[in-house]
Amino acid sequence: MPTLLHFCEWVYATPFSTSIRQSPYSFPIIEGIHTLGITAVVGTVAVLDLRLLGLLMKREPVSKIAGQVLPWTWAGFAVMFVTGLLLSIAEAQTNYFNWAFRVKLVLLLLVGVNPLIFHFTVYRKVADWDLADVAPRRARAAAVSSLALWSAIIVFGRLIAYVNM
Amino acid sequence: MLLGFCQWLSRTHISHIMRDSTYDFAIVEIGHLLALAIFGGAVLLVDLRLLGFSFKSQPISEIARDLLPLTAGGVVVMTVTGFFLYLGGPVRYYHNPAFQLKIALFVVALFFHFALQIWAGRERVARLQTPVLFRLGAAFSLLLWLSIGLAGRAIGYV
Repeated sequence: MPTLLHFCEWVYATPFSTSIRQSPYSFPIIEGIHTLGITAVVGTVAVLDLRLLGLLMKREPVSKIAGQVLPWTWAGFAVMFVTGLLLSIAEAQTNYFNWAFRVKLVLLLLVGVNPLIFHFTVYRKVADWDLADVAPRRARAAAVSSLALWSAIIVFGRLIAYVNM
Repeated sequence: MLLGFCQWLSRTHISHIMRDSTYDFAIVEIGHLLALAIFGGAVLLVDLRLLGFSFKSQPISEIARDLLPLTAGGVVVMTVTGFFLYLGGPVRYYHNPAFQLKIALFVVALFFHFALQIWAGRERVARLQTPVLFRLGAAFSLLLWLSIGLAGRAIGYV
């Protein structure tokens, strides 16, 4: 896609992008926050997923755990989004050709769609199975998808630096 | 003497594997990251509960006990993967100040955090309010783990 490539090249050439990329401090610090932010997003949502799978905190209703955990997940995601955006701006042109980066973006899309589907289908009837040790099959499927997708996102995120073109 | 041990480690077969192979190091590092996600999230939630910011309707002893498998299991996986990463350059890391700081902080955090979490888990009274001691402990725990993470990130730059 030539227009997208031109846009990435344009972003890459801006003073803002260049300053992050070339500063000895900016990029490592932003990347450090991005890496540590993984715990806030994935670690917290994993607790909810493990509850859905009946592996953790079975005493507590699913909706209660969701209500307690998800605000932190969202806060973490805000940090990840901003730091991720800054990193993407800094490496706009090189990331365009990086297949690990492209796969990661697609996975991020999917990991967003997964809870949407979950929320508007099986979670609508959560009152029926809130207290159950193990959630219904489709809820468990959403939990497994969540864990698998986030793990893959972490893997491909790490691979970005290993893939040159 | 410690340096001698690190030098011996650097001559082992596994050390050469970790040093020379691109993929083995990357795979172990990714394992370290995945474990960090689970471990870090569980530590965050336990410490947030001790600070009174999360799971406010559950007693602290319940949260501390419920998340112990994740924090304890997580730290074991992180230590094992971390050790293999270290084997990629035993003498080099020995001399790296960021690595030295990370290990020093890690030893402190390991004892401090798990003493705190196990102590909180033992509470027989189903306590909803968090005593000041637990709050201070949780804040210190978070500070330690965050510093460990940052020191780890700095290893590659020092």
